[in-house]
Amino acid sequence: MTDTWTLVVAGLVVALLRATTPILFAALGALVSDLAGCVNVALEGLMLVAAFFGVMGAVQAAELWPALPVSAHALIGGGAALLAALALALLLAVFHLEFGADLIVAGIAMNLLAAGLTVFLMASWVGDKGSTATLVSPALPALRVPGLAGWPALDLLVNGEGGRGHPLPLLLAPLAVAAVWLLLQRTPWGRWLRATGENPAAALAAGIPVKRMQYLALLASGALAGLGGVYLSMGYVTLFQADMSAGRGFLALAAVFLGARALAGTTAAALLFGASAVLATQLGALAWRPQLPQMLPPIVTLLAMAVAGARRARRPRPATPEISQRP
Amino acid sequence: MTSAAPPAPRASRRAGLTVLLRRVGAGIGTLPLSLAAALLVGFALTALVSDEPLRAWLALLTGPLPEFHLGTQGWELRRVVLFGAAIEDAITLALLGLAIALPFRARQFTLGADGQMFLGALAAVATSLALAAWPAMVVLPASLLAAMLVGGAWGLLPGWMRVRHGASEIVTSLMLNLVAVQLFRLILSEWMSDPGAGFIATPLLPPAASLGALIPGTHVSAMLIAVPLLAWAAQAMLDRTSAGYALRAVGQAPDFARRMGLPVARTVMLSTALGGLFAGLAGLHVSHALLGRLPVDLPAGLGYEGLVVALLARNQPRAIPMAALLYAYLRAGGQAMERGTDVPREMVLVIQALIILFVVSERLWPRLAEALARWRSRRGAPAVETVEPSPGVAT
Repeated sequence: MTDTWTLVVAGLVVALLRATTPILFAALGALVSDLAGCVNVALEGLMLVAAFFGVMGAVQAAELWPALPVSAHALIGGGAALLAALALALLLAVFHLEFGADLIVAGIAMNLLAAGLTVFLMASWVGDKGSTATLVSPALPALRVPGLAGWPALDLLVNGEGGRGHPLPLLLAPLAVAAVWLLLQRTPWGRWLRATGENPAAALAAGIPVKRMQYLALLASGALAGLGGVYLSMGYVTLFQADMSAGRGFLALAAVFLGARALAGTTAAALLFGASAVLATQLGALAWRPQLPQMLPPIVTLLAMAVAGARRARRPRPATPEISQRP
Repeated sequence: MTSAAPPAPRASRRAGLTVLLRRVGAGIGTLPLSLAAALLVGFALTALVSDEPLRAWLALLTGPLPEFHLGTQGWELRRVVLFGAAIEDAITLALLGLAIALPFRARQFTLGADGQMFLGALAAVATSLALAAWPAMVVLPASLLAAMLVGGAWGLLPGWMRVRHGASEIVTSLMLNLVAVQLFRLILSEWMSDPGAGFIATPLLPPAASLGALIPGTHVSAMLIAVPLLAWAAQAMLDRTSAGYALRAVGQAPDFARRMGLPVARTVMLSTALGGLFAGLAGLHVSHALLGRLPVDLPAGLGYEGLVVALLARNQPRAIPMAALLYAYLRAGGQAMERGTDVPREMVLVIQALIILFVVSERLWPRLAEALARWRSRRGAPAVETVEPSPGVAT
């Protein structure tokens, strides 16, 4: 009896990690750029291009170099995905920082660009507008720990369902959290990033390269969101679907606000959103309506924002304007 | 940037492009240039993957035009389906553009038109189905009211959260979108689905509730007349009423508005609620004129396309119907392109994104002019001075 329960719990933990990983990556990206004062609403599009170019890159690599092992094709695809996400993030950064485009509007434009470009290229290259299901695309390499067959729950936890091992990005996710922590707490860049976000003019006066920090922040958020995107199309699922990111980029943005712009809070919020996604699929399996748990992340975020606002209102009011200074 | 020198007495004709870019830098003619540039980049992208890019672009630009044809019974209008699709689309987009533009004018950056549209449509359909036995005189006004009330209420929420809790309206409206779409699906599949439909959708609307077609063979309804009137009313509200004055003042100078004793909080909420009201109407147009019922998988994301309309119209309500028509024409052209050539219609999304980018990039064209001038002077051609772009021109 206890064995079945541990199995169920291990299965749920695995499901939680699986659902959290893409949101967590994107949320880390959102956090880094938000701390630098750049609210990146383009995460959705960044994930989308990474997911698409990952699959296409891997397929292309398999055609060009059939002699290489499949894992190499997958890694080349992963590299292509990261490059694509970085390119889109760079485009956003250039238009915002060089050409004076409003970051939010340009970010929404990036989402439209990604949605259009991925389907456009998919229709041209694959001949299908829905998904790349007709292509055989590889999954990213997975890490498998052998010799756990005696402990089924542990085996499930460490090696995932069917004992195939967890794909690389899922294992990278905790490392990414650690890396962002190091960046923010243990390097001068973290301080510079925060200073840039808090008060760009003061930061500039203090000799911080503000513009370069903003570039770096946007590019870092592109790379992180790209990892989330590549996990979607080259993790457990090995194909690209139109609109595959399905709102995760916006949830990631919400995770930063729910997490009070702190790393621990953001990570916890991403886990919470992952949990509600798991709940939605579990309830769906029980023929319940999955919509209620899917409503949970945005509602929790809204409530948290209201509570934070109420707390702010009770404090003596600083000289912050009520209306955002966005033209 | 260099300061303005006196105009060169003999600017060579070859400097014409530089002069044009400079004008654009001063805010004149940004829109046509941005449109042209977006179409050009889109064409370049198409040429990379398509075998027939020229034919595709021709289809994109001329596809939706109707054809007048001298038949046996006098002049006939042909090929109205795509033309009608453009007009239908323009109506939805104009309403969504108004939904984005009005809060914009009060500096409220709401992206919630999508959710407001979904719930407005749902409320209108629920009302129409509940009043199915009544004549059109009752059903239609009641449905309109329901769409406007529910859309407006959902639009009020981000404004209220902004003034009451200081929450960023960008994030709250995005969250409210996610909630609204799920709520829409839940209510529709749980309580309003028609078991005989074959897919999850509401029952067909009663005849009394559907908006009749003005142009036969299309879904162009009386909303075609209503939209310019609504845009005009919104403009008049902004220009001629004290609420409109407060709205513009809050948008342009919030501190000034507060010091003047204008009702800032109320105005902010009014602006987002008005936006929601228009988005609700867009929802009613989708359900009552275009589809005749609501499917559970009504595609999300149309609300963001209202953004491009608002931007093209520079948030001027009176310009929104034309901007919507322009963009809807492009979208219908995309359909023509997809049917006639190997280029899928999603190309239009790319063009749209490029239009947005080029329109909002205040420094793009001045920068280009500068670079061009520098390049010319290096090549020994007459140097053309650059003009400091006036920062307050855009928007």
